[in-house]
This record gives sequence, C-alpha cells and structure tokens, in this order.
Amino acid sequence: MTTIRATLAAGLDPSTRAALDELLLSMADDEFVIGFSDSEWTGIAPLLEEDVAMSSLAQDELGHAAALYTLLAEVRADGRDADAIAYDRQPDEYRHARLLDHGRGDWAMTIARRYLYDTADGARLEGLVASSFSPLRELVDKIRREERYHVMHATTWLERLAARDGEPRERLLAALEELAPDAATVFAPLAGGERLVESGVLSESMAGLEARWRATITPLFVHLGLPMPQVAVHPDRGRTDHREPFRWLWNEFTSVRRSDPVATW
Amino acid sequence: MTDQLPGDRESASDAAPPLEAWEVFRQEKEGDPMRHGGSVMAPDAVLAVHYAREMYGRRQESVRLWVVRRADVHDLSDPDLLQPPLDRSFKKPGGYVMRDKLAAARKQEGTAKPSGGRRRGAPPPTSGGRSQKSTGAT
Repeated sequence: MTTIRATLAAGLDPSTRAALDELLLSMADDEFVIGFSDSEWTGIAPLLEEDVAMSSLAQDELGHAAALYTLLAEVRADGRDADAIAYDRQPDEYRHARLLDHGRGDWAMTIARRYLYDTADGARLEGLVASSFSPLRELVDKIRREERYHVMHATTWLERLAARDGEPRERLLAALEELAPDAATVFAPLAGGERLVESGVLSESMAGLEARWRATITPLFVHLGLPMPQVAVHPDRGRTDHREPFRWLWNEFTSVRRSDPVATW
Repeated sequence: MTDQLPGDRESASDAAPPLEAWEVFRQEKEGDPMRHGGSVMAPDAVLAVHYAREMYGRRQESVRLWVVRRADVHDLSDPDLLQPPLDRSFKKPGGYVMRDKLAAARKQEGTAKPSGGRRRGAPPPTSGGRSQKSTGAT
C-alpha cells in the first residue's frame, strides 16, 4: 500500500529523508511522553474540572503523537505501523527531550513542565508552518490550533501559581529550578538538522527557534519575576540518556503491548 | 479567555481562592438559542471559561459558550408571584377555559357533543377553546 504521503517522502533525497525521520520521531516522542505523563493526573487532579481538563489535554497530545507516528511510518515505508514505532522500542531508543524525563511531581512541576514544553513546541511548530514537506505542513496546521489552547491553559496556571506568595510560588520556583538545566532541550540539535533548513522542511535552525522561544516567554517571566530557563548544559545529550522516571513510565505505557506483542486489538 | 498579561501580583496570601459556581450556556450551532448546559466550579472567570470549554465544548458540540457567575444571576422562584392560586387562564393567548363550561351547558340542554368530528383535511374548529389542554383551571 503506497499513500500519496509515502510517495512524496520517497521523492526526497536520502539525507533530507533521514533528517525528516529524526524530526518526526523527536516530535512524536515529545507528544507521546508528555501525554502519558500528564494522563497520570486522571482521577487525582486538584479539582474535578481540572481533572477533566488535564486528561483532555493529555489525550490531545497522544492524538498528535499518533498522527506524527503514522506520518513517520509512511515516510519509512518499512512495513512497521505507528503502534510498532510508538511501543516496540527500548527506553534508550526514545528521542523525546530530557525536559520530559522528570517524573510527574506535584501540580507546580506539571504546570512548569507543561508551560516550558508547550511554548517550546509552539516555536517549533511555527518553524514548520511553511514547510516544503506538505504532509507535515498540513498536519502542523491542525496541531497548532489545538496547541494554542494548551498554551493558554498552562499560562493561566503559571500566572496563578506565581502570583500567590507562600506555598504556590515556592513550589513553582522549586519546579522551575529542577527543570532549568533541561528546559531548552526541545531545541537540542538533530542529526542532519542543517539538511532540514536547506531543503525548506524547517524554516530555521533549532538555535534560531530557541531564540524565538526565549523572546516569546521573556515578557511573562519578567512580569512574574521568575528566573529565565538557562541554556542547555549538554545540548548534544538533550534527547538521550533518559532518566529513571522515564524508564518507570516506559514500563507502564508498554506493559499492555508487551503482555501480548502479536495480539490484534 | 485572554492571551494578555495578568494584572499586578495579588496581595500576598497563602489562602487558596474559594471556588465558586459558574453557569454555562451553550449554542449548538450558529443561529440557535443559548441553552443552559450545566455548571462548573472555578476560582475565577478565566479558569471558569477554560473548564466550560473542557466540559461543554471539547467534543465540538458547541460553537459559543457563555459563562456567568451564579451569584450574578437574579433568582425569582416565589410561588405567590409565579404560580398564583386563582384562575388566571384569561391571561393566556387562548382566553378563558371553556371546555368545562361548555360540557355543563350541553348536559343541561341534553344535547351530546357535536358528532362526526372534523373530517380529514377540514380546517380546525375555531371555537374559543383552542389551547386549553395546559392547566386545568377553576
């Protein structure tokens, strides 16, 4: 079965296709991991309405991940489907940003991580709105419309936690401090990243997108008196060497699949 | 919902803002009336709108939502004002309730209700008692 999208991907030169593979895998893994992390709040969020909201956001992210894995499966055209890419890998083969490696933590940690990730993801999506690879451009157009709400939700909570002295602000500051070294890892350079820019798949380098991201979040951080995230300490390891909390999460989200790898669901 | 920056930091306080009830009205499609959908609990208007969106809009079942603080709704439920005990059927568009009076008059005259009814396709009777099924009245 050959789709139009697969045909378009097959027409790319091998180095561009390899870089596109890296990009799609990193984006899909980001959405997949934050979706699973945040779904841990289902049933235990601070209030019923927030429980529904956070669970709904988590579902959105898993939906984006599914769409990206499906596109990646067509680009690879090696017979493995989206589920196989999503579930049939060892923890070290995942390429999500280390920002998403931190455990669920408390509510402040979840909000801090969501805010940093959603705004960074927003900057990355901006870099793809005019992508020369039309299947990705069309998908990004849909994803951006949902991510807009995600940023609003995270911003609303960040403002409230930051504005209330005492425990809320202290917990938020502690979470931002823990995440600081990894905050910018969404922009960790990808193998073949320069090919993505040369071929017009991505509008500019990850460093350029990171600068845009920082410019976007600076006014709010200054307004709320929050410390700006630092530059990644080891950008070359921004999407590898995953931490223990992710290994635990991997064990959880692959457990059903591993219980019967050949089952038809 | 707003993308704007928030106001200045609120006064320092550890106390969590109290939750309030907000009523949510939704429009299913353009041109439809706004109908009450339900309510959400939230500490402020911005979060109330977020939660209304999640509870009453996330499945694309609404094209517009209105969110109103329940405390801002003026309630009127006094039965003396809304359900007066005397016959007020003359205030309804159909006028007085005639059915019982007509039945009593026929009984007195010894005549039965006009037989045959109305034929299929014939216009409806135009007597005074059209919309009188609603409330029994005396």
